[in-house]
Amino acid sequence: MALHTRWSKIFKDMWSYRSRSLLVIFSIAIGVAAVGMINNAGRIIQRDLYGTFTAGNPAVLEIYVSPFQKDLAKAVQGMREIESAQARRVESASVLGRKDHWEDVGLNVLPDFNAVHVNQYNLQNGVSVPGTREILLERQSADKLGLAVGDEVTIEMADERRYTLTVAGIVHDVYVMPFALLGEATGYISMDTLEWLGEAPYFNRLDIVVTGNKFDKDHVLTVGNLARDRVIEPSGYKVFRIGIPGIGSDPGEHWAQSQIKGFLLILQIMGILAIFLSGGLVINTVSAILAQQIKQIGIMRSVGAVRHQISGMYLINVLVFSALGLLIAIPLGLLGSWGLVNFAANFLNFDVGQIDLSLKVLSLQLALGLLMPVGVVLIPVFAGTRISVYNAIYQNGLGGEKEGGWIEELLSKFRNLSPPVMLSLRNTFRKKARLAFTIVTLTLAGAMFIAVFSTRASLTKQINDIGRYIAYDAALSIPGGANKRTVEREALRIPGVSLAEGWANAVAVIERVDGSQSAEVDLVGLPGDTATIDPLLLDGTWLIAGQPQQVVVNDDLLDEEADIRVGSEIVLKVGESKRTYQVVGVLSKHLSGPRIYMDYNAFGKLTGRQNQVDVVRVLANPGSTSSSAQQELIAQQLEERFQNAKLSTSAASTRHAFFEKFTDVFDIILIVLLIMAVVLAIVGGLGLTGTMGMNVFERTREIGVLRAVGASNLAVRSVVVVEGVVVALISWALGAFLSGPSGRALAGAVINAVLKADLSYKYSVSGLFIWLGIVVLIGVLSSLVPAQNAARLRVREVLDYE
Amino acid sequence: MIYRELQRNVWGGVSILFKVVNNFEVEENQETKYTDSRAPRKGQSHSQGDGHLIELRDLVKVYKTPAGDFPALNGINLKVGRGEFLAVLGKSGAGKSTLINMITCIDSPTSGEVIVNGAAVHKLNEDQKARWRGENLGVVFQFFQLLPSLNLIENVTIPMDFRNTYPLGERKERALHLLEQVGIAEHAYKTPAKISGGQQQRVAIARALANDPPLVVADEPTGNLDSRTAGEIFDLFSALVDQGTTVLVVSHDKEVANRATRMVEITDGEIKTH
Repeated sequence: MALHTRWSKIFKDMWSYRSRSLLVIFSIAIGVAAVGMINNAGRIIQRDLYGTFTAGNPAVLEIYVSPFQKDLAKAVQGMREIESAQARRVESASVLGRKDHWEDVGLNVLPDFNAVHVNQYNLQNGVSVPGTREILLERQSADKLGLAVGDEVTIEMADERRYTLTVAGIVHDVYVMPFALLGEATGYISMDTLEWLGEAPYFNRLDIVVTGNKFDKDHVLTVGNLARDRVIEPSGYKVFRIGIPGIGSDPGEHWAQSQIKGFLLILQIMGILAIFLSGGLVINTVSAILAQQIKQIGIMRSVGAVRHQISGMYLINVLVFSALGLLIAIPLGLLGSWGLVNFAANFLNFDVGQIDLSLKVLSLQLALGLLMPVGVVLIPVFAGTRISVYNAIYQNGLGGEKEGGWIEELLSKFRNLSPPVMLSLRNTFRKKARLAFTIVTLTLAGAMFIAVFSTRASLTKQINDIGRYIAYDAALSIPGGANKRTVEREALRIPGVSLAEGWANAVAVIERVDGSQSAEVDLVGLPGDTATIDPLLLDGTWLIAGQPQQVVVNDDLLDEEADIRVGSEIVLKVGESKRTYQVVGVLSKHLSGPRIYMDYNAFGKLTGRQNQVDVVRVLANPGSTSSSAQQELIAQQLEERFQNAKLSTSAASTRHAFFEKFTDVFDIILIVLLIMAVVLAIVGGLGLTGTMGMNVFERTREIGVLRAVGASNLAVRSVVVVEGVVVALISWALGAFLSGPSGRALAGAVINAVLKADLSYKYSVSGLFIWLGIVVLIGVLSSLVPAQNAARLRVREVLDYE
Repeated sequence: MIYRELQRNVWGGVSILFKVVNNFEVEENQETKYTDSRAPRKGQSHSQGDGHLIELRDLVKVYKTPAGDFPALNGINLKVGRGEFLAVLGKSGAGKSTLINMITCIDSPTSGEVIVNGAAVHKLNEDQKARWRGENLGVVFQFFQLLPSLNLIENVTIPMDFRNTYPLGERKERALHLLEQVGIAEHAYKTPAKISGGQQQRVAIARALANDPPLVVADEPTGNLDSRTAGEIFDLFSALVDQGTTVLVVSHDKEVANRATRMVEITDGEIKTH
């Protein structure tokens, strides 16, 4: 089939300048692929995770009640404001997992496993109704514990009696936090089995689905209060807590929905940035193509081409680039979304259905991939093809540029620089529009790169700040409590342990001046001279030994009770006991929720639990924490000793394990962010490569003149490479300036998305210098090939250049 | 108005001379889109051109330079008849190229009129000039100015492509024929970089003839060639003149004077007639 010659020219030009064509194609592909990956992953997560979540009739409200029988659920469900109410018993125990290691397990008892109507789980294997002495395991728990249907599993209850159950089924429950995240297994047993395990047969939680707007937090909480006031408390039960399931989630949302949404939003912003940078690169490259082909444009006009025909040629050229970019971007985006969704699925324990591409995402990619490049080059193309034949053919070449402005003036003041360096510096600023585009691209890439490092530094700082509250080598919870002196004596018998502190926990409410009560607050009783906490004080002082009426509160409490400040007097109520205390200090947030710290003896007087502790915290060397191996050893010995002493069967935790858990999660997030930052850096590098190539091409004659007056290969190369490095350094300086606010914004968004906590920002100086190394490398690498091409030019070739 | 008139001329004519010059087998009644420019046509203004193919009236061109105004042409008046081989001679900087740029609409005069083939081309805008040039004029440059990524056939077909003058399927055949005429058909599929300067200039001439224009204008066509090759190029121009094409060559080479039917010399922007 005959092809119009002008289209033939387009394809031949593309082929003649393959590396430049690939540059544009890849820059379009990277941006479009990033947007496709993020949007498609978001859509699949929405479909597969939220779909499964919604299908199982999620509870929008959890009400913790004193022991009750299942009839209470029926009574609550009788309220017209409530659609469903299901009784549940949640009991803590330990389970023997792989390598004979005990893990915490949450045992769930439901009234009728044949009719689970709220938070429905899906059967994966075996049976869905556990018989007596049988247990169903959540699939991730079964996997981590190395258990399958038919296996026997050892459970140890709080009273240290051990029982052997048979795994009857494996189920998938999207309503519980996965083992990988929580570090606690989930199992399901019948009430008969619970009784056999020595526990009293009662329920302690109501899972509620309300009628009306399930997503309205106020409405949902109002319904919870109504249930308490109208049905539960009049029936003689006590309500401990009414809450929305999840980590700061809104009702009807998956427990990690806001975190996923926040994370996807961050990626979305980076994707848009990648598209923006791609657009800049396309403009730069197409402008360079037009500049290079200006004489050809003149020739085409001289043989009869009108402006719209030439503009059409270059726009079609860009469309071909776009189409080829899309050919790469669509499968690449799909592959990326597959990776991202599978990462999320492993992490959040949901099944991934078909990884397909929706029409909406495909349309978005097509629109971005086709319209963005064509849209951004409209102005350069129309401006570039407006040139007259005379100007195109006779005015294009050496000496056709305008006289310099203030930058050239400034450069002329540097008189001690060698001529090649001066030439490089002047060359850098000759094509200001092109330079501006290149610098903007690299600057944004740099700012983002440093911002990712600052996010990492901020997360580390945040975790380190939180770590100040767990300044121990190992800690062990003592369910039901034990005598303080006994606990500390047992802990101190462990070889190497030189300090043991018993802490006590309770739940209190604050009675306000108007007589109303606050929500429940954690109350911690600890030694006044504690050495296992290094509190970060925002205001006031820490507890002073011998001052039993003093308390220290954390910033979370101030979010809830805005009137409290240092110097305030607060009335704390535990059960029927009520006392007044003075707030002497405010601590930073540390993932604990609202909390009040007080002297151990004062705690005993308020709660009536004198000499009882719930946790023991130990240190080998007061003032410093031990190595991770030593911490593990101490934890193991602590577990053994307390088991032998019949004080606790819980698993001990170490400070190192706490850091490891968070670091693992953050590292994955940071890797994803870093990949995006590297993508931006690649786009920026491609931009600089294109610019340097064009600069050298346009200065062919000038380079010939340099060679004619005796410039060596090295001198010609240096002129080009120094120019590349100067551009890189300018972008670095601007990127460093921009990385302050961008880093703060990114770190804030990530910390808020992941931890639901406020920012503890730290600028990454190492990130700044790592980027300096990278950007200089980009500057050198991107100018090496053009420099080599320049060095290869011979004077005769330059004379032929027309 | 002028543009519309040109459009009518361009799209309405049937070329008779086309067959004569190019030995092309075109049916008598076939509507072609190229210009029948050798004979006056309906709608073409005789009064403007007064029967001449080119008429320059009081043509002035002043270049503005940082050193002040530089007058390149000082009131040129010139008429060129159809089928003439006109040589424009002069020293470097005399204004030869400026004159040719006025005739080819590559540059615009400061004042005066340029009437070519009945059209007041100095009044056209850039796009109208491009259309007019593509259909009425072939330009040969000193540095050949072939498109480097296209092979020789494509370089010759591109004017047809832009002006849509021949059916798509026939363009290649016509380009080959033109390359044969200039003696370079055996290199038809090579790119310009793979042939010599003289060969490139032959291709440039073939390209100038692509849309069968009544006028071929050449600016120093042999300036970059050796004397033997230059002679061959002049032979080609002579052959075109024999076939009825008007040829205008600007050169500082006295050899062209021996080939031309008429010669004018430009000195300091003014014409000395010989």
